[in-house]
Amino acid sequence: MIALALLRFLARTPWSTAMALIGMALGVTSIVSVHLVSSSVSSRLDGLVPGPLAEYSHYLHRDKLNSAAYFTLRRSWRAGALPAVKQLSPFVDETTTLEGQSVRVLGADLLANPPSASTNTAAEQFSMNGAWVDQSLEGQLSIPVNGIIDAPKGTLLADIATAHDLLGWRADQLSYIGLALSDPFAGTIETAEKLLPGFGAGFPSAKPNLDLSPDWQLVSTAEQYPAREFGKSILFNISALGMLALLVAWLLIYQVAVSWLRRLWPVFDRLHVLGVEWQQLRLYFLFSIGLVATLAAALGLVAGWWLARWLLEMAVPGQEINLKLDSWVVFKAVGSAVAVCLLGGAWAFHQSQQTPGRRSLLVIITLVLLGGATWCVFQPQTGLAGGFFAIAALSLAASQMIAPLLIQLKQWASMIGGSYLLRIGAREALWHPGELSVAIAGLSLAIATAIGVALMVDSFRVDFSQMLDHRLKYDLIAQGDATALNELAHTNEPLTLASRVQVYRNTDIRVNGLSMELNTTRMDAFESSRYGYGASLATNNILLSEQAGKALRLSVGDTLAVSGETMTVSGLFSAFGDLKPRLIVDQGSPLAATIATELQIDSVAFTSDQPDALAASLREQFPALELRLQSDIRRVALKTFDQTFAITTVLITIALLVAAISVYIAVTTMRLNRQTGRQLLNTLGVNRAEQLLMNIALGTGLGLVAIIIALPLGILFGWILCNVINPRAFGWTIELQLSAEALLRSCTWGMLAAIAAGILQGGGREEGAFGER
Amino acid sequence: MTKPAALSVKKISKHYQDGSRQIDVITDLSFSVAAGESVSVTGPSGSGKSTLLNLLAGLLELDNGDITLQLKDKTFSYRTANERSRTALRRQHIGYVYQFFNLVPTLTVLENVRLPARLNRRRDLESHASTLLAEFGLGDRLHDFPDVLSGGEQQRVAVARALLLKPPLLLADEPTGNLDAENSKHVADLLFSSCREQNISLVLATHSTDVAAMADTRLHLDSRLTPDKKSL
Ligand SMILES: Nc1ncnc2c1ncn2[C@@H]1O[C@H](COP(=O)(O)OP(=O)(O)OP(=O)(O)O)[C@@H](O)[C@H]1O
Ligand SMILES: [Mg+2]
Repeated sequence: MIALALLRFLARTPWSTAMALIGMALGVTSIVSVHLVSSSVSSRLDGLVPGPLAEYSHYLHRDKLNSAAYFTLRRSWRAGALPAVKQLSPFVDETTTLEGQSVRVLGADLLANPPSASTNTAAEQFSMNGAWVDQSLEGQLSIPVNGIIDAPKGTLLADIATAHDLLGWRADQLSYIGLALSDPFAGTIETAEKLLPGFGAGFPSAKPNLDLSPDWQLVSTAEQYPAREFGKSILFNISALGMLALLVAWLLIYQVAVSWLRRLWPVFDRLHVLGVEWQQLRLYFLFSIGLVATLAAALGLVAGWWLARWLLEMAVPGQEINLKLDSWVVFKAVGSAVAVCLLGGAWAFHQSQQTPGRRSLLVIITLVLLGGATWCVFQPQTGLAGGFFAIAALSLAASQMIAPLLIQLKQWASMIGGSYLLRIGAREALWHPGELSVAIAGLSLAIATAIGVALMVDSFRVDFSQMLDHRLKYDLIAQGDATALNELAHTNEPLTLASRVQVYRNTDIRVNGLSMELNTTRMDAFESSRYGYGASLATNNILLSEQAGKALRLSVGDTLAVSGETMTVSGLFSAFGDLKPRLIVDQGSPLAATIATELQIDSVAFTSDQPDALAASLREQFPALELRLQSDIRRVALKTFDQTFAITTVLITIALLVAAISVYIAVTTMRLNRQTGRQLLNTLGVNRAEQLLMNIALGTGLGLVAIIIALPLGILFGWILCNVINPRAFGWTIELQLSAEALLRSCTWGMLAAIAAGILQGGGREEGAFGER
Repeated sequence: MTKPAALSVKKISKHYQDGSRQIDVITDLSFSVAAGESVSVTGPSGSGKSTLLNLLAGLLELDNGDITLQLKDKTFSYRTANERSRTALRRQHIGYVYQFFNLVPTLTVLENVRLPARLNRRRDLESHASTLLAEFGLGDRLHDFPDVLSGGEQQRVAVARALLLKPPLLLADEPTGNLDAENSKHVADLLFSSCREQNISLVLATHSTDVAAMADTRLHLDSRLTPDKKSL
């Protein structure tokens, strides 16, 4: 009987019922799509580490590592000297040229663990002297291929002995030793990573204390693969965003549950008067909202999958996209919808029976959160997770502040002037703190996220293009074929069109066991200024990229021994996007002389008044060279940058959309329950256009309230991203630029979302709060 | 001696559709009201009092018949008017008082009364609003929001607002339905005397025989079973 009454009620108000379902499904959609996009990026990054190395968390390096040193270490491990080590294994890892191809040869103990190839060639072709290669090398080499593995481009995996043969190494020479260290938090981190892809990178991986002789250098996977680390950190930034989108979605789901209750409340109230127990009514309520949540979760999963696919297709066109709705994302989606609905619903039900009070508990929670956030921001040892926590705590605290703010603003409502109709609309935004605060909090969070990310990306872009300005001082750059470059560098003919010719040489080098790139060139004042260094570089001085500085834990003034030469660090330069840590010395330095035989010409750069003419003449003389104009490089670099961050724009759009729906639902419910005078205004002869104007005023009012909170919160987010999260992730600092354009852009979108919610409201007029009779 | 009719209702009908069932609420109803005269509409619940007032306000569309309202320079015919012109008519020429929810909650008392002046760009009437409120004994409540006013005070504000433009027609749907006897009398007195003084035609629906008795004429809507009695 009660169920029938409820069903009839819901069927009679199909618009609101559908909106609840759609709203909640949209929340789930955003959760699912953000998750899938992040986890797809994450697994692509994991692909940068070749499969056989995946299980190792650390690497041991030492100068002239050989098998004797390895076996000594292994013996002491067997004897129990290294309890933290679960497994250890020797590796050969070197890049060489095989049959004209640059190949990374990876030698591992394959007898112990044979590789799992994605495609195996016919069994009779299998050879222990063969190799496994990635897709790009298939059919390129004469060595027998046993299978194709998932690995970065140009990777060849073979048994150590085969690798030795391919590289022409001595039989006892090794590159490093892989270690699997037991980490008590590994399980937790893995779960966290599954639930919030990208989040795992935020946990500080403590450097384990191994009792080893000082010759050994312990390096984590992150340090060994800085490119992967770079990607993971960008992903981490995005997943900070993903977490906020999750929060916004939760607020929406909660909002739907509350609206649902508000709609049913008059029916419940009457039934209660007729003698139905509250407990039973609550059960009916929770059952009905749980049903809606389950349906919405199913819809949201499908929609989220499509959305993620579409987003990735836009962001990384032409790449194979493989999205799986694994049990984690299903758990997250269904769990979010059902749990938030039931808990939020039960809480709202509880609240509806009581007179509101007890704000003090919330105030205390808010203060504790703010305190925690502040502590995390100023304690670098809390790592990325600390920065993450600060963002979450600030968001929660800010959403707690909306209701008190509305109550405060309501007291000043009579001061809002202007046309009477605008007054009515704008004041309506402040009039119902109880009904609207959750939705406004969601909107506020979405706008703050947009602001924070826009500030971070814009600041990043400013630094990035500044770096390009520094670097791109040459008008033309020649790269490519080694012989042609050599000829060009040693040509005696004066290049009449060029006013300056600069030759760059480089080599890979190990410093304290870490693989780095060393550049040599004429480091006069002009060249040094490209790296932000004021004068010409002395022959015993060295410049380090920020990544190198971080990996070696060096700063300006410290000394560093490279290949037996002691150098003084005289500057650090930013090198966003470098794959390896980089060192720069003058070509006349003793260090350059020591490694002269290993240095190869990498590129030749020119300044010229007529770069096009110079390029044309060079192209004729050296057809094998790749010639690039400075302006092209700049354009391509910025395009790549913008593409990387394009995905954030889409994620923000989703968050704003979800927030707008949430506001819409809240306003509809508010009008349903409150006497807002709309019918009365109709009687007074207010026409459609004027009602639209009032709805716009209402939306603007809601938007303004949201922005009051969002503006400082968003700037804080931006500051944390630039000054806490990025330094802790990459070791570089981005100077926060409070660009008015970024602030305005985000606020405008937020405002438009709010106004859209206000206008949309005009469509839901099926249920008046009181009839015309 | 009969004055010329300001409002004439000629053989109007109105039905509601409830699913497949048709409810004929008003059938062939005719009457007229002269300027400055009042009509009270009585009848049992569900007899169509509110429906009639909503038709007179142009909020509902007529099925049959016509209503005409005499304005200064022309006669307004409801039958041929579209929703827009009916909305404009309400805005300029009709005052309306409901039983409750008469005031916009987000406007102050003074703003509520001034609202019709603002909507019609009649700045000249704005000062009249505070005079009117003072006359009605609300001079010290001008800047309060409606939620802090008593029911009787709220109704007086509503009457003040309906009178502000001195419209030719004022409609009141159970304006005293929510009030105690004393307040009820006060509000009814204000309504009837103001309308008489300012030559406003008043149509007032009520359940109270006392209030109904104050009108010049009485219109009794019977239950739908006896449609033939629904005329003066
Ligand atoms: N929107 C509507 N849809 C369907 N039926 C309606 C609608 N509005 C009114 N009715 C029906 O029309 C009839 C007349 O309603 P109305 O509100 O005019 O009565 P009333 O005389 O004002 O009653 P009361 O004294 O209780 O206010 C009632 O039977 C009512 O159920
Ligand atoms: Mg009625």
